Amino acid sequence: MNPGITLPALVAALVATLAPGYTLRAAPVADVPFPVIERFENLGMKEGMPSHKVHCVLTASDGKLWVGTYKGILVREDGKFRKIGTENGLSHPMVMCMAEDTRNGDMWIGTMRGLNRYSAGRITTYTQTSCGMPNNVVYGVDVDGATVWVATAAGLGEFNLKTGGWSIYDHNNTVMHEPWVYAVKSAKDRVFVGVWGGGILEYDPASKVFKEHRDPDRDFHFDLFPDDGPVADITSWIAWEDGIMWQGTYFGLSRYDGSRWRTWQEKKSPLIGNFVNFVWAHRRVAWVGTDRGLSVTDGNTWVNYRTNEKGEGVVEIARPGKPVESRGMETHLANDFVLGIWADDHEAWLATSDGLSHAIFSESQKPAATAAR
Amino acid sequence: MNLRALIYGLGGVGLAILLGWLGHHFGSTTHIRRKIGQEPLAKASCFQCHFVSTKRLPWARPRPHHDSPAGLALSPDGKRIYVALDDRDEVAEADVASLKVLRRARVAGGPFGLALNPEGSSLFVACKNGDRLAVLETAGLTETGSLGVGLGPASVAFCRTAKGDRLVVANSISDDLSILSVSPLAELTRPAAGREPFAVTAMPDGSRVFVANRLVGLETLRTGPAAEITVVDPGTTRVVRRDTLDSAHLSEGASVVPARSWVLVPLVKVRNQVPITQVANGWVMSSGLAVTDLKSGEVIQMPLDEANDYFSDPSAVAVDPGARRAFVASGGSDVVSVVDLERLAKWLGRASVAEKQEAIYDLALSSEYVIGRIPTKRNPRQVVVSGDGSKIFVAERLEDTVLVADARTLQPLGRIVLGDGGQSDPIRRGERVFTSSAYTFQHQFSCRSCHPDGHVDGLSYDFDGDGIGDNLLDNRSLQGVAGTEPFKWNGKNPTLEIQCGPRFARVLMRTEPFPAAQLKDLTTFIQSLPPPRIARHAGDKLTQSEERGRAIFFATKTPDGKEIPLARRCVTCHPPPLYTVKLPFNVGTKGPFDSSAAFDAPHLLGIADSAPYLHDGRAQTLEELWTIYNTNDMHGVSSYMNKIQLNDLIDYLKTL
Repeated sequence: MNPGITLPALVAALVATLAPGYTLRAAPVADVPFPVIERFENLGMKEGMPSHKVHCVLTASDGKLWVGTYKGILVREDGKFRKIGTENGLSHPMVMCMAEDTRNGDMWIGTMRGLNRYSAGRITTYTQTSCGMPNNVVYGVDVDGATVWVATAAGLGEFNLKTGGWSIYDHNNTVMHEPWVYAVKSAKDRVFVGVWGGGILEYDPASKVFKEHRDPDRDFHFDLFPDDGPVADITSWIAWEDGIMWQGTYFGLSRYDGSRWRTWQEKKSPLIGNFVNFVWAHRRVAWVGTDRGLSVTDGNTWVNYRTNEKGEGVVEIARPGKPVESRGMETHLANDFVLGIWADDHEAWLATSDGLSHAIFSESQKPAATAAR
Repeated sequence: MNLRALIYGLGGVGLAILLGWLGHHFGSTTHIRRKIGQEPLAKASCFQCHFVSTKRLPWARPRPHHDSPAGLALSPDGKRIYVALDDRDEVAEADVASLKVLRRARVAGGPFGLALNPEGSSLFVACKNGDRLAVLETAGLTETGSLGVGLGPASVAFCRTAKGDRLVVANSISDDLSILSVSPLAELTRPAAGREPFAVTAMPDGSRVFVANRLVGLETLRTGPAAEITVVDPGTTRVVRRDTLDSAHLSEGASVVPARSWVLVPLVKVRNQVPITQVANGWVMSSGLAVTDLKSGEVIQMPLDEANDYFSDPSAVAVDPGARRAFVASGGSDVVSVVDLERLAKWLGRASVAEKQEAIYDLALSSEYVIGRIPTKRNPRQVVVSGDGSKIFVAERLEDTVLVADARTLQPLGRIVLGDGGQSDPIRRGERVFTSSAYTFQHQFSCRSCHPDGHVDGLSYDFDGDGIGDNLLDNRSLQGVAGTEPFKWNGKNPTLEIQCGPRFARVLMRTEPFPAAQLKDLTTFIQSLPPPRIARHAGDKLTQSEERGRAIFFATKTPDGKEIPLARRCVTCHPPPLYTVKLPFNVGTKGPFDSSAAFDAPHLLGIADSAPYLHDGRAQTLEELWTIYNTNDMHGVSSYMNKIQLNDLIDYLKTL
């Protein structure tokens, strides 16, 4: 449990949430060391989303917005959305993940049936039958130089763009507990691999050694000894930036800086929900998509966004050692079931199970660069 | 000697020969049946497996080298021309005024493509066989830098961008581009190109580079083969567009025409899925020029041929600085076609969309804008125009000369002589036959039109010798075929002389066969072709994955100890050193339109670079051989393999 959050603070938050007229519209947020969302602009099927479910979103280095949905991809360029689907060569409509090769702008797209490389309009498909990829179900993809990493339902795949060769890592040739790989994230000289029931693998490409990080108490629901390792083994997502790895699980959130772990679970901390679908790391701040809304944290200060029973947007700010501040928002998330996130210093995009939300930041916020280490 | 003794003697000898032959035949057949686990489906002999050595094959022997000009580059002042001599590992510098070679510099690795910086002080050399880019200072013609790039770099373009000087290198074997910074010489990124990127040309302001790709994309094979023009922003190192050339391929040149906002790319219009009977109607292959309009994004294919005379293998294009004329070198026809760009622009300006789409099929149309044909010596492959637009320089590759012609009168002015033409070398003579369209109906194509560099064009064709509309056959590489007879997918041609002889003329060339002497030279040339190049270099140790794959290739048992039947072992049909037992096998790939189930076991040397696979090219990758098309384990027992093991096997195959 986060020692900075006290019981009185939690009580205060609860009271503030339940009390009529709880909104604290005038409360300052400038002391929050990362951006705070002022409002959401939502895009649903009426606004052109091809499906309710939006699985992933990212802004490419050329400024184009890529939205992966249950029924294909939308690309926003020059203010207009253009759809890319199976009719254009995409191997399957259900898009699970995306990653950009920022060196040349190629977009790698994981689907329920195969990996796709979108390069200047051309789609090249990689499947388990056409190449050495481990499996067609691609949950996660990341690009690191000339290597594309794919997290699949039957192991981790390493695709060498220079040689065209594939390497597979699974329970046969690594310490991987099982081959169901949910997430992969390259991290400078490391690769973190999220294994569904097997915690996290840390791979050193230089020595080709895998190191396993498992929940020491092996208990799904309870984090018996906080901060002693991953909060749980059921890893749903991995994010990494600036030396910090974040683990999303269906039983909480973990942070790892290379030597120390910190863990958070709902009720024991401001984390809005244990069921973490996705984590986006920007600088040293985690954007955590759960089944109950969005948590944003640097590990000390937390800002949660959710929709209350009346369908109104609520933001809750939990500062270390202070009562939770709660206030209403004029807008709310498209849906509290957040599946994907992309954020920088200026804006955030949230993929939800019922549309896409564009998060507009408060002007008074400090950039996330000041977030505590 | 009396008559009876003579008869007995001859009879005895005859009987001994007959018995020997029968013994060899039945003995070999029995032995092979025992060794391969099934009845051989063709005549067999000891030489299927024994006495086979790559060391004795023609391609392994030393051969003469020639001063074959490849890439050309003119100095900014127009006084010097640099010529890449890939077969010599040299770059030559010649004086344009005197047409004399001044200096030669040794540049290892098959220097092929050239580019100069605007000052003319640095010459950048794409070394096709050495997988590197070399930098030469022109003052001393000495190599001052080198950088490894992708496989088979065939050309290079220099670009001066706001972000610094850039080089874009077309890596023809690894199907990608190396985008380099010049200072320091370093690779920034290596984006994917089309298939076999071969020629690059840059806008003068460095804003865009256009890359012509030789082969069609594998993904387009079934829907309509299309090659690609890859458009790159060298400043941002991004591929910004990929234009397609529908039903066209073998583009080996590219030239920008900034004044008209065009890019010109020569092409071969190919209709590989119509029966070869249509050669007689001119429907199988013709030559054209793709005009990309950079303003509208249109790509229009214009014909270069005439109704009854074709100008095959258009290999290079250059445009004069005034954007008045384009010069297209047709390597198969020994001609440079001269295109009046003003006339072409007028036609394009008045043509409807439909007329533009159909233009390539109207061979009479070329008379609207092709205003001359400059005859050359053998195999013009590269062309450049002088800075003042007064002269063109044409690399006559198989003549060891560079033709200099007046760009206005189209008359020859002389030649830079680099070598003796190699007439005494049968391999060189054979290459001349191989690259010439003189032997085909209306000069429509040469051997090279389907086998660029003796390799594959990646297409399947409908040969009508065994019926029309069936037996679609994948084009097989000629590289490394020496010693792998019999030929053809049905394995019925015992020698290359038969393969390329009268029957071939009737089925394909639709004209008289090669004269005997030329046929002999041709087969000599083909047999001199080494196997396709692969990423691994001789002497490299196998990786762990490749070692594991090797064990699978030679396995006699599955990992759980079950015996793999003889007929289903990789090595049974593909034994080293050529990795073919030279017999047909039924591997369960007979399709609904195939008349036979048995197909010749191809050699596996350089197989990594020979996609697509199987007799009809249905498998786009090596993986698909086993993940999709291995019916009942007939093409080797693979059903026990997991993906890691299959990857290991394929990693090993890629080392052969």
